[in-house]
Amino acid sequence: MVFNSYTFIVFFAIVLILHNLPLSWTVKKVNLLLGSYLFYALWNPPFILLLWLSTVVDFYMARLIAGEQQPLRRKLLLAVSLVLNLGMLSYFKYGGFLLDNFTALLSTVGIVFQAAKPDIILPVGISFYTFVTLSYTLDVYRRKFDPEPSFLNFALFVTFFPHLVAGPIVRPEDLIPQFKTLRRATAEQLSWGLFLLSLGLFMKVTVADGLLADTADLIFSLPFPVQMLDAWTGVLAFSSQIFCDFAGYSTCAIGVSLCLGFVLPDNFRYPYAAIGFQDFWRRWHITLSTWLRDYLYIPLGGNRRSPLRTYVNLMITMLIGGLWHGASWTFVVWGALHGLFLCAERLIRQRMVNRQPPVTEPVVEGSIIRQASMGPSIPLGSPAGQLALALLTLFFVNITWVFFRAPTFGGAMLLLLSMVGRFPAGVAMLTNTAIVTVSAVTILLIACHWFMRNSSLAELAKRLPWWALSLGWAGMLILVMLTQKGSSSFIYFQF
Amino acid sequence: MKTTNYPKSVWLTLGLALAFMVGWETYWRQQHLPFSYNDDESMWASKRKQVYESSPAKPVLIGSSRIKFDLDQVTWTRITGEKPIQLSIDGTSPRPVLTDLGNDPNFKGTLIIDVTEMLFFTPDGSFPEKEAIKRVSAYPTWSLSQQASFQINRLLESSLLFLDDRNLALNPLLNLLPIPTRAGVWGGPQFPREFFIVDENRQSKMTPAFVADTNLQNRVKKVWMDVGVHSPPNAVDGAALLTILDDTKRSIDQIRARGGQVLFLRTPSEGAMWEAEKKMYPRRKYWDRLLAHTQTPGIYFEDYPALNSFYCPEWSHLTPEGAEQFTEDLIPIMVQKTGWPLGQPLSAMLSQPIPTCR
Repeated sequence: MVFNSYTFIVFFAIVLILHNLPLSWTVKKVNLLLGSYLFYALWNPPFILLLWLSTVVDFYMARLIAGEQQPLRRKLLLAVSLVLNLGMLSYFKYGGFLLDNFTALLSTVGIVFQAAKPDIILPVGISFYTFVTLSYTLDVYRRKFDPEPSFLNFALFVTFFPHLVAGPIVRPEDLIPQFKTLRRATAEQLSWGLFLLSLGLFMKVTVADGLLADTADLIFSLPFPVQMLDAWTGVLAFSSQIFCDFAGYSTCAIGVSLCLGFVLPDNFRYPYAAIGFQDFWRRWHITLSTWLRDYLYIPLGGNRRSPLRTYVNLMITMLIGGLWHGASWTFVVWGALHGLFLCAERLIRQRMVNRQPPVTEPVVEGSIIRQASMGPSIPLGSPAGQLALALLTLFFVNITWVFFRAPTFGGAMLLLLSMVGRFPAGVAMLTNTAIVTVSAVTILLIACHWFMRNSSLAELAKRLPWWALSLGWAGMLILVMLTQKGSSSFIYFQF
Repeated sequence: MKTTNYPKSVWLTLGLALAFMVGWETYWRQQHLPFSYNDDESMWASKRKQVYESSPAKPVLIGSSRIKFDLDQVTWTRITGEKPIQLSIDGTSPRPVLTDLGNDPNFKGTLIIDVTEMLFFTPDGSFPEKEAIKRVSAYPTWSLSQQASFQINRLLESSLLFLDDRNLALNPLLNLLPIPTRAGVWGGPQFPREFFIVDENRQSKMTPAFVADTNLQNRVKKVWMDVGVHSPPNAVDGAALLTILDDTKRSIDQIRARGGQVLFLRTPSEGAMWEAEKKMYPRRKYWDRLLAHTQTPGIYFEDYPALNSFYCPEWSHLTPEGAEQFTEDLIPIMVQKTGWPLGQPLSAMLSQPIPTCR
C-alpha cells in the first residue's frame, strides 16, 4: 500500500479510529501490528513470510546472544542472524546481479556459461527492514541494551507500517521504548501529523510525480544526445524529483506516526543547502548514513587508524551505500563518486588545518568546494559566499545523480557529455513549459532549503499565525487534488 | 515564541479545501463538460484481468484508439448478449499486448486486432510501443491495494467531474499557460478538451460539442498533421518488417495452439489521413502480407460497401452514431468471415449474403 492512494486513506482512517477507542494498550498494539501486516500484504501477500522469518529469527537470536557468555558462541549466534538477513537480502536483491557478473567474468576467461535467468521479484522494503532488524541484533551483541522481552513490542518495532517499506530506518532505541507505554496523539500532535502527511503527499504527488517525473523520465530514456539545456533540465528535474519523492515518503511516515502518538527520526534536513559532502550526508537520508556510520564505518576502524585506512573505510562505506540502493554497477559508481568527494574533502580539510589559514578567510567546515572554487578573494564566510559553496556542492551532487538514474553507463556518459555541451547539434526535446516548470521548482526548492538550512519546519510553523499556516496547507491539499496522478510507487520502493 | 493553534488550522484548512473543491466542481459543471473516466493503468488492468472469460461473442479487443471509438460496445452487447473486453491503448501499437497474451498460457480466447498501420508496424522499442509496454509490465504487479484504490477511484470519478485526469489535472491546466512554443520542439498531441470522453468500459466517444463543431474537428486534423510531421519519414521495411511479421505470427500461433482465435480488423479513415496511410503503407505490402504471413483472417473496411461509407469528422475516428452503425454492420461480416457464433439475433442478419468490393 502506498501513502498516495485511496486505499491508504481508508486504511489510515480505520487505524486511527481503532487506536483512539477505549481499548487496552496491548489490544491497540495488536491492532497496529495486524494493520501493519495488512499494509504490507496488500502489496504482495506471500512476502509477509520473509518479514515474519526476519522478525522471529532476530527476536530469538538476540535473546540467545544476550544469554550466552562464551565469545565464540556469541559470534556464532550473531553470524546466524547476519547470514539469514543478509542472505535473504542478497538472494532477492543481488541474485540476478551476481549471476550476470559471474557469467561476464567467465566469458572474459573464455568460458561460455549461460545460466537460466532467475525470475526474482524484489520484496518491497527488504533493504529497510533488514537494516532495522540487523541494528537490533548488533546492538544486543554489543551489549548496548538488553533484548526486548516482549515479542509484540519487537514485532511492532520491525513491522510498524509507517517506516516499514521505505524508512526512516529506525533504531531499537528510537521506537521500542515508545511501545512500552500508552501512546495517543494530543490534538497538537494529530494536527501536526496531518500537516506533515499533507506536506509529504504534496511533495510526492504534486511536485515529484506531477511536475517533474515526465521531464526526468523523458531525458533519461533517450538513446541520443540532447542539447545542453535539455540535459541540465532533465538532471535538475530528477534531482528535485528524487528529493521530493523520498523526503515526501519520510515526511508522510513521520506524520502518520505522529497522528498515532509515535515519533520517528528525521530523515532529511534541507540537503540541497549543504556546504560540502560531509554536510550533505548529514542532511540526506540521515537514518541510512548514520546506520552505515555506526554499523560499518566505525567497526571498520573509522578514522581511528591510519589516514590511509580512514580513506579506505570511507570508500568501502560509500561503495556499500551505493550497492544498497540497487544491484547495478551504476549505483556502485554513484557511491564511489560520493566516496571520492568525501575523501577529497577530508584531505583538503586536513591540509587547511595544517596550514592554519588566515583568519580573514574563514575555513568552511567540511567543504571540498572552498578549495575547488579557486577565487583568490571570495569572502567565503559571507552569506553570498556560503550560497555559492552550497550551489557548487549541489552541482557535484547533480553529477552523481546522472549515474544514479541512468539505466546504463552509456546513457550516463551521453547525458554527461550533453551537459558539458559536447553535442551542439543535439536534439531539443523539452517544451518551454517543461523547462519553466523544472526551473521554477528547482529555484524554489533550493531557496527553501537555503532559508531553512539552520531551522526547522516546526519552528517556522510556530512563528506563523494559525490562519497563514492554514492558507499554505490548504494550497498544498488543493494542488494534490488537482494533480490527480494515479497511485504511482515511491522511487525508493525499488531499493 | 508564538505557538500556532494547530487544531484551529486543521479546521480552516479543511474548510478552504472543501470550498475550493465545491467551487471547482460547480464551475466545470456549469461549463457542461461531460463525465469521463481516467483511462489509466488500473483501468486497463481491470480489463486485462477479464481476458480469461473471452469467447467469440466476448472478444478481447487490442489496438489503438480507432477500435475504442469505432466498435460500439453497447451495440455489440445488444446484438451478441456479451460485452467485449477493451484492451486497446490510444496512440500505441497493439503488438506488446499481443505478445503478452501470446505468452499467457491461460489465454485461450478470441482476439480482434485493430490495425492502424502507422502504429502497428513500428519497430521494437519505438515510441508507440512504450505506453503499451508500460501497462503490460505493470499488470503482473497490480496489487490488492491498487485494486481497492481503483474501485474507490471509480466511485469518485462517476460523481466528480473535476477528477478528469486528461483534461482537468494540473499538467493539462499548465499546458494552457501562454508560454510560447520552443523552436524545433513538439510537445506531443494537444487535443481540444471536447474531443472525446472515455466511459467505464474504456469506450471512447466524441462529445456532442465536438461532433457539432467543425472548428474543433479542424484542430484535431491539425494535430494529426503535426503527428505526421514528427513521425519517421519512412515506413518500416526489410528485415525489421519481417521481424514484426514473425513476432506477430509467433504470438498468434501460440494463442491458436491453445484453442484461441484471432481476427485482424482495419477500421475506416478518410481525407488526408487515409491518403497518407495508403501512400506510406500500401495495402499489398503491409495488410495483405500481414494476413498471408500469419495465416489469419482480416476485415478491411474498404472491401465491404456496408463499412466503406462512414464519416470520420477528424479523418481517423467515427462519431458515436457512426460507431453504432459500424458495429451493427460489422458483426454479420465477422460471422460470415470467421464462422464465430455471435448470438441468436444474427440468424436474421445472415439470411442475405454480405456484398464485398474485392
